[in-house]
Amino acid sequence: MRQLLIRLPMMVATLLVVSFLTFLLTTLLKGDPAVLILGPEGAQDPQAVAAVREDLRLDDPLPTRYVAWLGDAVSGDLGRSYRTGQSVTEAIGERLPVTLEIGVLAITIALAASIPLGTLSAFRAGGAADRVITGTSFGLLAVPSFMMAILLIWILAEWLGWLPATGWVRLTDDPVENLRTAIMPALALAIGECAVYTRLLRADMITTLQQDSITMARAKGIPTRRILFRHALRPSSFSLMTVVGLQVGAIIGGAVIVEQLFALPGIGRLLVDSILQRDLIMVQGVALVIAISFVVINFIVDLLYTVLDPRIRHGRAATA
Amino acid sequence: MGSVPTRRPRASRRLLWTLVAAGLIAAGCGGGDDDEAGSDGETTGATSDISEQGEPVAGGSITVGLEAETNNWLPGTGQFSNAGTSVAFAIYDPLMRRDANGEMQPYLAESIEPNADLTEWTLKLRPDITFHDDTPLNAQALKTIFDDYLKADGAVTAANLAEVEMVIVDDLTVTYQLSEPNSAFADELGLAIGWPFSPTAAAAAGDDAGSRPVGTGPFVFDSWERDNRLIVKKNPNYWQEGLPYLDEIVFRPIPDEDTRISSLETGDIDVLQTLRQSSGVRVRDLEGVDSYEQLGNITGVNIFNTTVPPLDDVRVREALARAVDQAQIIEIQGGTGVVPPSTQVFSEDDPYYSEAVADAWATYDPEAATELLDEYINDPARSDGKAAGEPVTFRYDCPPDPSLVDMAQLYQSFWGEIGAEVELRQVEQATHIDEAISGDYEAKCFRAGLDRDPLPTLEQAFSSTSGLNFTRFTDPAIDENLDALGTSTDIDERKALVEEISTIVNDGFPMTYHGSTLSVLGTQETVKGLAAWTFPEGAEGSGTSGATTMWGFVWTTG
Repeated sequence: MRQLLIRLPMMVATLLVVSFLTFLLTTLLKGDPAVLILGPEGAQDPQAVAAVREDLRLDDPLPTRYVAWLGDAVSGDLGRSYRTGQSVTEAIGERLPVTLEIGVLAITIALAASIPLGTLSAFRAGGAADRVITGTSFGLLAVPSFMMAILLIWILAEWLGWLPATGWVRLTDDPVENLRTAIMPALALAIGECAVYTRLLRADMITTLQQDSITMARAKGIPTRRILFRHALRPSSFSLMTVVGLQVGAIIGGAVIVEQLFALPGIGRLLVDSILQRDLIMVQGVALVIAISFVVINFIVDLLYTVLDPRIRHGRAATA
Repeated sequence: MGSVPTRRPRASRRLLWTLVAAGLIAAGCGGGDDDEAGSDGETTGATSDISEQGEPVAGGSITVGLEAETNNWLPGTGQFSNAGTSVAFAIYDPLMRRDANGEMQPYLAESIEPNADLTEWTLKLRPDITFHDDTPLNAQALKTIFDDYLKADGAVTAANLAEVEMVIVDDLTVTYQLSEPNSAFADELGLAIGWPFSPTAAAAAGDDAGSRPVGTGPFVFDSWERDNRLIVKKNPNYWQEGLPYLDEIVFRPIPDEDTRISSLETGDIDVLQTLRQSSGVRVRDLEGVDSYEQLGNITGVNIFNTTVPPLDDVRVREALARAVDQAQIIEIQGGTGVVPPSTQVFSEDDPYYSEAVADAWATYDPEAATELLDEYINDPARSDGKAAGEPVTFRYDCPPDPSLVDMAQLYQSFWGEIGAEVELRQVEQATHIDEAISGDYEAKCFRAGLDRDPLPTLEQAFSSTSGLNFTRFTDPAIDENLDALGTSTDIDERKALVEEISTIVNDGFPMTYHGSTLSVLGTQETVKGLAAWTFPEGAEGSGTSGATTMWGFVWTTG
């Protein structure tokens, strides 16, 4: 609770800064935002320009506009796209579950594979298994997600015919088909992440396994599996936990490409399309949601430290 | 009536051009570099490889992979590229469409007739047609659509119609009153302006009307998940008896070319749409796939800003034209064996294509190009203000598409060989178009032409009053010929006028060409009838032009 009380105001302050920077998106661009939104064609109509200026309160002072915009945003009103006519909140609400599902699935797959692999690699450091895992990890780290996506489509869709190459079925429509459409994009994102997590966990766990407490546990005759997963894994997970939090950004970045390749209606594709079509209001809304997600997830990760390490919970710095 | 004339108010030109340009640059430029068909360097043009069609059968569902999503499905607010138009022809019926001879014919309309001076166009609707919500299609519905939606503030069609009024004549007849003669007005009614939608449904849906389209078409809108799928179901009360054959169509936007082709290969989709040359070649080679190809009047070009030195000098522009081997440009885009070289904005199978213009177009001649450029370089009064002998420099912009990057580098190499120093710049599409409109550029890769009457095509590109004259190339003789074109319905006279305009344009070198655009529909062999659509009175339609079809005529045996 103490950590929560310390970190919560920090998170709120960060969110305010993030929201202000996002708000400035429409202000810092060169030229009149109304003209940019309408494009040179639409901007030839002075009435249309005036309507946009009024709609976005562009004639008000910046602080007034920010407060009004923030008030709307907090109440869930992020505006309406001038290109599609769709409410930004509605558009994000439609897309976010897709990206979240792919992201959560990717991180789950990556963690499920990297924890045993990283642990085995550390336990057998220098051995054949370690060399194979290390070599494979380095190889996978070198493969970008778009290349992995193309490879997976070729193998799993074209060659083996197991999964559809493209498309998305919502979880609520058909859970099995949903998994079939989600698994390949998630794998494309997960494989690279898995390599990062494995390398990280291996390094931390090698350090942990050299500590006196582990030697003591071995001396007591505690089974190896129990030592590894009960005594060594938790203190070896700090870096992993930090990176998982930070990698949310990488997952969103990867989703931008992967969603395009797999034709998924996610937030990444919405962002790219909106940028390319200069849909500034939509870009602003999506950027805000992504930034908030990033801040909140890392806030949660910070709180998880206290779960993993009682020393933080009790206000002492971790020395491990 | 037969061939239909058209001319539209000048204000109408700008927006349409932009929208079409945006769609084409987004989707249609170039292709990959995996040229499989053109190793012999022969250009063969569009071909179609279609399996035995057989008799139509009713029932079934197909999935169509499109190259892009559409922002909104309501004419007036929707921006319909080729992909959007394809979907629209399932839900809406166009008042007019182009027939197999390239002439506009009534489709949903029963007839259309201009007055003597082409300032009034009287359109009569077919009787007893209703929208999907049972609202009758009549003159009042057209008037409401026209006044409340197509001409509304902020409508993308408003500029086109600024100088057009609609008057109701009787229950099924309206007259479009124009402020000036327009021989190509019927052409407009093949576009979104001429796709009637239920005014009752639109009013009820309010801001969401674009998400719930209600037309008179062969299919009824069912659901839409943006960027995922749009589903339409058979219209059981369709006004054309016996149509449609299919029970359902699922349209899926799949922007990545490779995955769209993979989806066709794996059977995830039944029909694929593409405007990429290299994709067209790949579709040709797929087993069990029919390929419907068409060359349109849209050609890849370089546009030169003729008001900016050194490109304001015709010697420089001609030198740049003569310095380039178009066959190599086509090859690097994967188009060898697929698309023929271009010499004008009209493709070889268009009635307005001119052999004389083609023969007169500058051929690849690096020596002549070098001489022309040297003449400019050594001219003490050269327009760029540099000292005689200094090299010519300019900037060449292209969107960051891999095939366009390759193409730009090849251009840089050709132009470098004659002594021009070219800086390449990658520009996002929206900026690319904005700069072309505002004139803030020197040279750009672009596309020119429209699958339409030559009047709007040429008027947009070269009229002195056009806001979309990107090259700023003007000539009083062009304006005179455009005016004459707008008041002429005689095909021979119109051809002569178009030829004259094309000649003046090519003599001034405001643009150079790099191959026509191929539009392709690839289908599983089980999907039939894509090119078989006809007009209600039986005239043959224009097939799969622009990679679109009339879905009511399509059936599946799968």
